[in-house]
Amino acid sequence: MSKIKCAIVTGGSRGIGSAICQTLAMESEYHLLINYTANKAAAEATLQKVEESGGSGEIIKFDVSNSEEAKAVLTTWQEANPDAVVEVVVNNAGITKDGLFMWMTYQDWDSVIQTSLNGFFNVTNFFIQKMLRNKYGRIVNMVSVSGVKGTPGQTNYSAAKGALVAATKALAQEVAKRNITVNAVAPGFIKTDMTEAMDESELKKLIPLNRFGEAQEVADLVAFLVSKKSGYITGEVININGGIYS
Amino acid sequence: MNKEEVIEIVNNFLVEEFEVEQEVISPKAPMKDTLGLDSLDYVDLVVIIESNFGVKLGEADFVNVESFQDFYDMIENKIKAKA
Repeated sequence: MSKIKCAIVTGGSRGIGSAICQTLAMESEYHLLINYTANKAAAEATLQKVEESGGSGEIIKFDVSNSEEAKAVLTTWQEANPDAVVEVVVNNAGITKDGLFMWMTYQDWDSVIQTSLNGFFNVTNFFIQKMLRNKYGRIVNMVSVSGVKGTPGQTNYSAAKGALVAATKALAQEVAKRNITVNAVAPGFIKTDMTEAMDESELKKLIPLNRFGEAQEVADLVAFLVSKKSGYITGEVININGGIYS
Repeated sequence: MNKEEVIEIVNNFLVEEFEVEQEVISPKAPMKDTLGLDSLDYVDLVVIIESNFGVKLGEADFVNVESFQDFYDMIENKIKAKA
């Protein structure tokens, strides 16, 4: 039986993650694993859009920040699908718990680190040996302008994403010999639920391109990075922020 | 599974996986240099051992493995520990 090539997108049910799933459905042959933690309806809506785009996929529910749960669910999935090979991992799941550092609780610090940084470990570490054996892989870590520039009010998020930038660069060098690339994508202000409460009319004055970005624009970049066309790019952090920081 | 069977299975997959001649694999020869293993090649050994013998290896298991004989012994001990 031929191998089924898969791409997993964590936090794939909403926002940028959902746009990535839909774009990969249109532009790649990958069977999509749409991970979500809480919003089943959104995950189902994304799956429906994937299928309407002519792609295939399935929903896989687990909390990326929970190492035991992630390992158990992924192991069960892999055992049920022995012919499936995950070639692409998009670590997109992330949360924010914004606030000034002087008022920040340990819980708000920790939960952001757990999801963005440990989530990367929990999912990528599960698949990396198989990718190494397969001698091919594409790993894309969604970071943020906060992770490269630092954003006041987001010391936790900036720390988690900054650490993920460093992990991207280190892992890229470790696995390059086996034709596995690891890159990071650092969006600025993108129109999603996460930025819904922000005042775009005020904030866009800070952005040279004078607007918030679209999730689709980020998804197009990710689709390129997970394609075979990007094979000579690794260990990079690609900003997509309308010129707000470079 | 006796020692000879372990050695035969291991040697067969080493020849196939690392594209070396059977003759270069002798018990006292240094495994890493003989096979030209780099750090990432160990993942192949780990996966192949697991699929052939049902035992999981970690980084620590390779600490004292220098010769092929060390490798056979380590696998044999792992199999015994599992039984």
